[in-house]
Amino acid sequence: MPSTQKPMRYGHAEGHTDVCFDDTGSCIVTCGSDGDVRIWENLDDDDPKSISVGEKAFSCALKNGKLITAVSNNTVQIHTFPEGAPDGILTRFPMHVNHVTFSPDGTKVAAGASDFMIKVVEVADSSKQKTFRGHDAPVLSLSFDPKDVYLASASCDGSVRVWNIADQTCTTSWLLLQKCNDVINAKSICRLAWQPGTGKLLAVPVDKVVELFRRETWDSEFDLSDASITESLNVVVWSPCGRFLAAGSVNGNIVVWNVETQQCIERMRHEKKYSICGLAWHPKYKQIAYTDTEGNLGLLENIGDVEKPNDKVLNIGLIKASSGLLEKEDDGDDQTGGFAALPASSTQQPFYDGPMPTPRQKPFQSGSTPVHLMHRFMVWNSVGIIRCYNDEQDNAIDIEFHDTSVHHATHLPNSLSHTMADLSTEAILLACESTEELASKLHCIHFGSWDANKEWTVDMPKDEEIEAICLGQGWAACATTALLVRVFSVGGVQREIFSLPGPVVSMAGHGEQLMVVYHRGTGFDGDQCLGVQLLELGMKKRQILHGDPLSLTRKSYLVWVGFSAEGTPCYVDSEGIVRMLNRALGNTWIPVCNTREHCKGKYDHYWVVGIHENPQQLRCIPCKGARFPPTLPRPAVAILPFQLPYCQVATEKGQMEEQYWRSVVFHSHVDYLSKNGYEFDENAKNQAVKEQQELLMKLFALSCKLEREFRCVELADLMTHNVVNLAIKYASRSHRLNLAQRLSDMAVQKASELAAAQQQQEEEEEEDFPKHSNAGYSSSATEWGRLPGRNAQQDQEVEDAEETDACEEAEETPEVHRESKKNIFSEWTGSSPDNSCRLNKELSGSIFQAVPAVVSSNRKDPVVPSANVLDNMTKYSKKTSLSGSRAVNKQNPPVIKPLTPRPKTKQASAASFFQPRTPATNPVEKIVEEREEKAGNESQEAKVTEQENTENRRPKTGFQMWLEENRANILTDNPDLNEAEVIKEGMSRFRMLTSEERMVWTEKARGGRVSDLAEDKKRKRPPAEEEEVSKSQEQKPEDTNASKKSKPLDPSTNNRLSAFAFKQS
Amino acid sequence: MEPAEVEFLAEKELVTIVPNFSLDRIHLIGGDLGPFNPGLPVEVPVWLAINLKQRQKCRLIPPEWMDVGKLEEIRDQERKEDTFTPMPSPYYMELTKLLLNYASDNIPRADEIRTLVKDTWDTRMAKLRLSADSFVRQQEAHAKLDNLTLMEINTTGTFLTQALDHMYKLRTNLQPGESSHSQDFW
Repeated sequence: MPSTQKPMRYGHAEGHTDVCFDDTGSCIVTCGSDGDVRIWENLDDDDPKSISVGEKAFSCALKNGKLITAVSNNTVQIHTFPEGAPDGILTRFPMHVNHVTFSPDGTKVAAGASDFMIKVVEVADSSKQKTFRGHDAPVLSLSFDPKDVYLASASCDGSVRVWNIADQTCTTSWLLLQKCNDVINAKSICRLAWQPGTGKLLAVPVDKVVELFRRETWDSEFDLSDASITESLNVVVWSPCGRFLAAGSVNGNIVVWNVETQQCIERMRHEKKYSICGLAWHPKYKQIAYTDTEGNLGLLENIGDVEKPNDKVLNIGLIKASSGLLEKEDDGDDQTGGFAALPASSTQQPFYDGPMPTPRQKPFQSGSTPVHLMHRFMVWNSVGIIRCYNDEQDNAIDIEFHDTSVHHATHLPNSLSHTMADLSTEAILLACESTEELASKLHCIHFGSWDANKEWTVDMPKDEEIEAICLGQGWAACATTALLVRVFSVGGVQREIFSLPGPVVSMAGHGEQLMVVYHRGTGFDGDQCLGVQLLELGMKKRQILHGDPLSLTRKSYLVWVGFSAEGTPCYVDSEGIVRMLNRALGNTWIPVCNTREHCKGKYDHYWVVGIHENPQQLRCIPCKGARFPPTLPRPAVAILPFQLPYCQVATEKGQMEEQYWRSVVFHSHVDYLSKNGYEFDENAKNQAVKEQQELLMKLFALSCKLEREFRCVELADLMTHNVVNLAIKYASRSHRLNLAQRLSDMAVQKASELAAAQQQQEEEEEEDFPKHSNAGYSSSATEWGRLPGRNAQQDQEVEDAEETDACEEAEETPEVHRESKKNIFSEWTGSSPDNSCRLNKELSGSIFQAVPAVVSSNRKDPVVPSANVLDNMTKYSKKTSLSGSRAVNKQNPPVIKPLTPRPKTKQASAASFFQPRTPATNPVEKIVEEREEKAGNESQEAKVTEQENTENRRPKTGFQMWLEENRANILTDNPDLNEAEVIKEGMSRFRMLTSEERMVWTEKARGGRVSDLAEDKKRKRPPAEEEEVSKSQEQKPEDTNASKKSKPLDPSTNNRLSAFAFKQS
Repeated sequence: MEPAEVEFLAEKELVTIVPNFSLDRIHLIGGDLGPFNPGLPVEVPVWLAINLKQRQKCRLIPPEWMDVGKLEEIRDQERKEDTFTPMPSPYYMELTKLLLNYASDNIPRADEIRTLVKDTWDTRMAKLRLSADSFVRQQEAHAKLDNLTLMEINTTGTFLTQALDHMYKLRTNLQPGESSHSQDFW
């Protein structure tokens, strides 16, 4: 056998099948009694695309991207090809349809049914139908004349008729076949065929021969037969060139004739002798696909190579060597042999060996399952789920909210057949494609509206289809085929409109941010070429990502686009890699999770539904053997952890590095939020900073142990200032003095840099001030209060003369601050400009504390930084600091603006490094002193540490608080006292106080603790306690005054304390 | 123990629910529960799950074993073996009853599950009666029964022990009684 017969393979369940090629011959399409249409890329395709068209499919035909099937519910359906989306019903019959076929130009479809009727329907307009009556039994087969004049049909009544399509009359009729009463009893399904091209001959399988009838005369021209045919012929097909004719018999023979010579050129036998019921000739190559009644699919290749048997003999060895050149020779032979009329054979095509372009991925909605499903998710996001049911009984949309307090579940009829949807906490957005009568529509149900009209609809202009939609806070957007993005307000006002550089792929919205992914160009070799735009639509209206390329894994496509709950853009590709925007590194994308690593099976996937940064959660639905979940049974959400793809995560070092950077990446949203004036959880931020610093310290210790001092310095570079102090301590204690020296050098350098940065920032802020005041901060009152203060600070040197006054006033103002910040500040904000001068003066006192580093660096005042270090270490420790007023002033900023305190405090302690000349201020020295030199004086040290400890845990007793307030006093009186003596002295002085005063202090200490507790929830003091504080403050104005002036010991103690505090926490 | 008491113990078992409300972690004597995020599965004790379900505050995800296929397998295994087979949960009967009573809309094929569990239960009870019968009949001193659940023990436990007590009394009274009778006659 010269032609190659590939082994048959399973195609469908047992039963009748049909086969055809698509227009280009790139795939084989089969249908079977299991009701599926399968699209095979080749015979070895193990994963054919299946389209379920009905319960049973009897016949299929394919042309111009339309797949026509005759199915068991007596309809002729259209599906799009190759997507397989249902495209409507072409026509209906009262009984089964036995055969459907396309007219040669693809505009009409003929269908013959068991109700003896034949219909010819126009594909574009199914209302234009022609019926052909005359058969007295079920119609078996049909064939269109290539010239579109006649239609041939075979029927169970034994007749073969030729109809004139135009006037629907029977032109001629032959009684050729055996009569029977139904299709299943028919001996042969008698698939007849017109000769392609001229339509000169009509081939009809009649028992064991193929009869050929001449056009117009309708005479039998000749018969084709072969000795190998022992049973009736079932199917006849012509080669596309019209020179060859293939026929398949009910016992599995396939015979090919050259019609001109009437010679049989090919005989082939079905391996199991099943009845051949489908035959299709490849539109270009010498291939025939065939199917049998058991549902198997087979392929014959190289048909017609038999033409030159002598050449074959000559070349056979060379052919086995299979060189491309020889095949070319063979083709040359074939041309002379009769295949010349074939439009193109494989090797004759212009040959291109480069990378092939990838088909562009279609637009999609994130969190939706494919449109062609009858039951599908239109969207599943962090707000809720929208499901769409589209079956015989119902066409509806079900909306369900995860949190029923947002809105109750809703059921909508889907009369417009919406295919896209999005859901937010204030609205539902739906969109549909256009139909012939109706334009593409955007439909919004704004349930957050407070008036009676909850819905609005917008029609797109003609020929503009909506391809993707999304909802943000207060706005909705859609992208259309006209490469436009249209933004609407959530109430239905048309807002911005802008052009996209390419066809949209998907969109996502969150808050004010809109992310659009589109095709930047053509990808090659399976890659997609996508670009991304990120815009802020709120007050700022700016573009953050200007159409940057979107990084995808090779040969993958985009499957999910969205934002984390905290508002960081993320996306997922088909390889399961989740990427997140790293705003801290120039808006680059960082892979944060590989969902495929968590899959058990090769074909399992995770279907992402949401991303949370705090706590770190990737919410997704595990899908076994699929990319997306079914609607029933209701899928359950699973949570995956994130992991950055760092190296050597098995080792301790790699693990900690990964953890550190993950923590940094997943908390960078805090910076973004604070920069954009959103509220956020400050606790979480502090937690994160603490976690990061702890990890750094661990890494530092690890590197220390491994004697990698250079690495230690690198790590210290990442640390905050306080932790650097701790690191210095660690280094000196583990006798790495070189390292400690380097670290302290670095710390000094860092401090100076910070001071400079701070200065600059202040100047900037000063310029920014008017803008800020307009920005409408939630706690703008306090912000205002502070900012003018800064102005004052800038002017301070100029106003030096006024300074003293200001200081005096400041002694009182801080108290006022504390008690009723809000009121006073609101008054201030309302104050007239001529007041501002006075205001500045008033505030300059508080500025001392607000911007201590500047003060200190300007004036070389060693006192000021003291409070801040401790402040930073123990959160919200109002009472920790030396003077209450300072603590409060320090306390204000974090509430309003979380970014400032950290640098400031860094700077503060940095400043302490700045003045190491004052003997007691350098913590290292101090520690060394204490640990080594004073080793003998044990009792004293014990006391000191004891005090340190209590101070770490915030002052517990009234005495300690009192002592803090009055320490400076004592020291000024007796400057040469040491720590223990100070306490002793303090003790005696405290005893001298009246019991009422002492009570006040104890009350204060107690109240302080309470308020500290309360602090976690509300950052406000109970008014009663404030009063007490102020009272006590007023009682000792001199004391506080004195405490302002100088306390040489305090900074060092505090620095030491800060180190301990960190360790303790 | 009363069946109600056993049920009370069963209510401590954890099941997964999907809440439709948002609530932070709640701190109870028995341990912390939550946090509850709408749409996110969370494990809670049965008593809370039922309470939330009754208030329509959650959707219940049935335990893994509450599945027709798995229960069929268990039932068949139970029928095949002469001894008791291990059950998927020590409170399978109670959980089935509670969950099917209050959350049958969240459990696919609830009726079939009910029947299957009942079948398994009946098989086991039959075995238990049979073994008790042979235990008494053969006047054994001890018997070993593995894989019994608390509820099953409680159905026969009190009755069987009391019955054995009575029988012991009867048996011990029988001999002296007879002898005394005969003595009387003498």
